[in-house]
Amino acid sequence: MNTTTQVSDSALVSLYIAGNENAFEQLVNRHKNKVYTTILLIVKDTYTAEDLMQDAFIKAIHTMKSGRYNEEGKFSSWICRIAHNLAIDFFRKEKRSPMITLEDGSNVFNTMAFAEDSAEQLQVKEDTHARLRELIQTLPQSQREVLMMRHYADMSFQEIADATGVSINTALGRMRYALINLRKKMLNSNIAYDKNLYSE
Amino acid sequence: MIKTSTQNELIQYVYDELAKNASEQLETAFMHDEELAESCSELLQIQNLLDNALKSPHKRAVQNILNYSKSLSLQS
Repeated sequence: MNTTTQVSDSALVSLYIAGNENAFEQLVNRHKNKVYTTILLIVKDTYTAEDLMQDAFIKAIHTMKSGRYNEEGKFSSWICRIAHNLAIDFFRKEKRSPMITLEDGSNVFNTMAFAEDSAEQLQVKEDTHARLRELIQTLPQSQREVLMMRHYADMSFQEIADATGVSINTALGRMRYALINLRKKMLNSNIAYDKNLYSE
Repeated sequence: MIKTSTQNELIQYVYDELAKNASEQLETAFMHDEELAESCSELLQIQNLLDNALKSPHKRAVQNILNYSKSLSLQS
């Protein structure tokens, strides 16, 4: 039995600050997908997203190693906020808008592995997930922002409300519309939408 | 027609942010309000899809991060 999965992020951070590199490896492996996806949904380029993901974790390393890490709040929210800010800064420096025209993501995104599925099922899933990531980009910015902060950056609705300067009811409303809009867009795109297909 | 306040509670419920008492009231309401139960089901389905749409970075990028951290430890 692997008991290390029970260790909290907070404990792993403390262990890492004390010099335990294995604790950091667990933190990275636990959060790399959310950090990477948060960035990828903004920059839409795998190489740039990987570079910025590395920058985000390096920034986190320096903050933790220098004793400036704030124990308040969740590590996941913190690291995803760093990632989100780096991705936005990237666009400011490049003087580009994150709301660029979408393309078919099939050549851009990596193949996801589901060993238990047939090749055909794998393709259906990957197509669906790639299309979903595209559809997230088409949401109004305020809705997309809340969706990414809550679903991928793991921030609470109150934290999102504080960060974006709106009431919690507004944040909740934006999230509700984001999810409803995504569902409508999925249905309108004739994308397979079977809960049994996607359950793990 | 589901009230806006209830719709907001549904969002908090599927993200596990609704207080215990309110969650229990909502779960009771599901038993006799088909529209509300269906709305919750739809939210959970799209939430599940979003979970599975996460992407993984290449191992090389992850290894770079770990190597950087180790190199800092060796310097100090």
